[in-house]
Amino acid sequence: MELLLPLLAALLIGAGVFLVLSRALIRLILGASFISYGVNIAILLAGEGERRDAPPLLQLSGPYNDPLPQALILTAIVISFATTALLLVLALRAYQVTGTDHVQELADRPDPVRSPIVYADPEYPSVSPEIGTAADVDEEGAP
Amino acid sequence: MNVLAWPVLLPLFGGSVLLLVRRSLVRRWVSTAVSAATLAVSIAIAVSTFHGEVLVVQMAAWAAPFGITLAADGLAGLLLLASNVLGLLTVVFAGSSLQHAPVRGDSALLNRARDAFGAQALLQFLFMGVNMCFLTGDLFNLFVAFEVMLLASYGLLLLGGELPQLREGFKYVVINLMASSVFVVTAGLVYGLVGSLNMADIAQRVSAHGGDPRITLLAALLALVFATKAAVFPLGFWLPDSYPVPPAAVSAYFAAVLTKVGVYALLRTFTLMFPSEHGVPTLLFALAGVTMLVGALGAVARRRWRHAMAFANVASIGYLVAGVFIGTHEGMTAALYYLLNSVAVIFVLFLVAALAERIAGPRYREHGHLGLYPWLGAGYFTAALALTGLPPTSGFIGKFALVRSMLAAGTWLPVTVATAAVLTGLLLLYATMRIWREFFWGEADAVHRVAIPRAMSGVTAVAVALLLSLAVFAGPLYGLCGRVATQLDGNAAYRAAVLVPDAPPREGAH
Repeated sequence: MELLLPLLAALLIGAGVFLVLSRALIRLILGASFISYGVNIAILLAGEGERRDAPPLLQLSGPYNDPLPQALILTAIVISFATTALLLVLALRAYQVTGTDHVQELADRPDPVRSPIVYADPEYPSVSPEIGTAADVDEEGAP
Repeated sequence: MNVLAWPVLLPLFGGSVLLLVRRSLVRRWVSTAVSAATLAVSIAIAVSTFHGEVLVVQMAAWAAPFGITLAADGLAGLLLLASNVLGLLTVVFAGSSLQHAPVRGDSALLNRARDAFGAQALLQFLFMGVNMCFLTGDLFNLFVAFEVMLLASYGLLLLGGELPQLREGFKYVVINLMASSVFVVTAGLVYGLVGSLNMADIAQRVSAHGGDPRITLLAALLALVFATKAAVFPLGFWLPDSYPVPPAAVSAYFAAVLTKVGVYALLRTFTLMFPSEHGVPTLLFALAGVTMLVGALGAVARRRWRHAMAFANVASIGYLVAGVFIGTHEGMTAALYYLLNSVAVIFVLFLVAALAERIAGPRYREHGHLGLYPWLGAGYFTAALALTGLPPTSGFIGKFALVRSMLAAGTWLPVTVATAAVLTGLLLLYATMRIWREFFWGEADAVHRVAIPRAMSGVTAVAVALLLSLAVFAGPLYGLCGRVATQLDGNAAYRAAVLVPDAPPREGAH
């Protein structure tokens, strides 16, 4: 155990870094998840050394593991879960907009030129009737 | 004393309510009211901290090293006040700019969709995270506060889903995810080595540890994380492209406040937790000199309003970090005053950029807007002087004090950084005056007047007035910064207030 868990943490973080450096968005997300697993094991290890006699509120005897790192891991798991969900939605959305999940193609694609640009001036009514004017959008905003 | 929890709770409840409100106008007013209430509480907290008091709340009455501590000293009060003033202004500006889109058609629809899908609620959650960062006295809780702030900022950056937003948003999320992983593992290691997560307690245990190289490693890891958030030179490459993509009000708040949260965390790390480390602060001091120059050169190179301003923000971070790590009382005082100036001036510049983009698009190349928008020109000119550091603005006072305290330190490194600071001032002068010449100056040809909503110009005017008041009330403000710097020197009051002496001794401590 003394050697196994550090090696596992190192393996997970190493695999995670390797995947994060790849060019497909989905592998990048997997890599981020691997890193967060490795980090959790590392925190667990940080609490290994300190063994206490009794939990603060209970009258039990005997060595027990420090619960605080486990509480930290729980928080970190929740946060990394939320971030992974966000990244997955983001990757899906990027794929829908651009048709690629390749980082380089995403970076090379030029920004869309929004046309026709008509500045909101009462003197100049909109020249693009198919888009409509600002008055066509209802107050609630949801299209 | 529970007043300390309100700057976190009010935006939390306000943001949750905002998710349920259906009418856009009601959302605007609710959001404004919540921000105004948060500001009122922040003023109350700040005023009592400015009298030298350190406010402390132990959550659920668990004594200091065991429970979660909220604490506010002068530094936290100063930043809480500044960030909530800007928060209120941001909410008003965003409410107006999301309703009155500059361009008709899909952009107007997009902005209204942003409003309908929770832009105001996300802003409140962002304020909650920022306030919690300033108030928490616990290293792991600082991580949680960072995550609350970052998740809200991801949402605000990505809301709308345009291609530039997706591209820059992905980079932003991944960079921050990596930094957060390092942060959380460092928090775990701090607990493993030192045996505590309460910052004041860490400070005492670290001083008992002596010159342990593992402590230096922990300090370096924390510095890596916070320097990434603060965009210090080799780690700040993500900032200049990502801050210009969200809506104008949001990027103004991001630039003015979020990077300063990183600087605040650096300050806490090296004044409170690891005050006897010297290698890492010296490295950060040297890097701050490079950060200034990179920011100023980037501001010269960029041809778009908000991209240039984002680089100007990087330059201003450089000055700030340099001031924090000079290592003298005068340097810290100057840095705190410059912090106020930097927050205000970057906010004004981004608001002016937002109005200018509304008038003429993202690039600054059409001449002759001064005749049509004289007040916008006046606001820009004031902010440009303050950014460059020319009298009679607060920028001059801050930079003069910074450079003087660097020169007073006398050795070769501070003198080199001081030279970089002066050079950066000249480059920023060139960058800002080029925008002045290309956008405001000259003959107006084919430029027609665009109506600017009253709320937007009003917020910009208030922000300029705040910037000017920093110069007008420079005397009392500088004195206040001096007192806060004295408090930070040793942090005796902070530690005494957090760690009450009658707390039960910790079991199994080594």
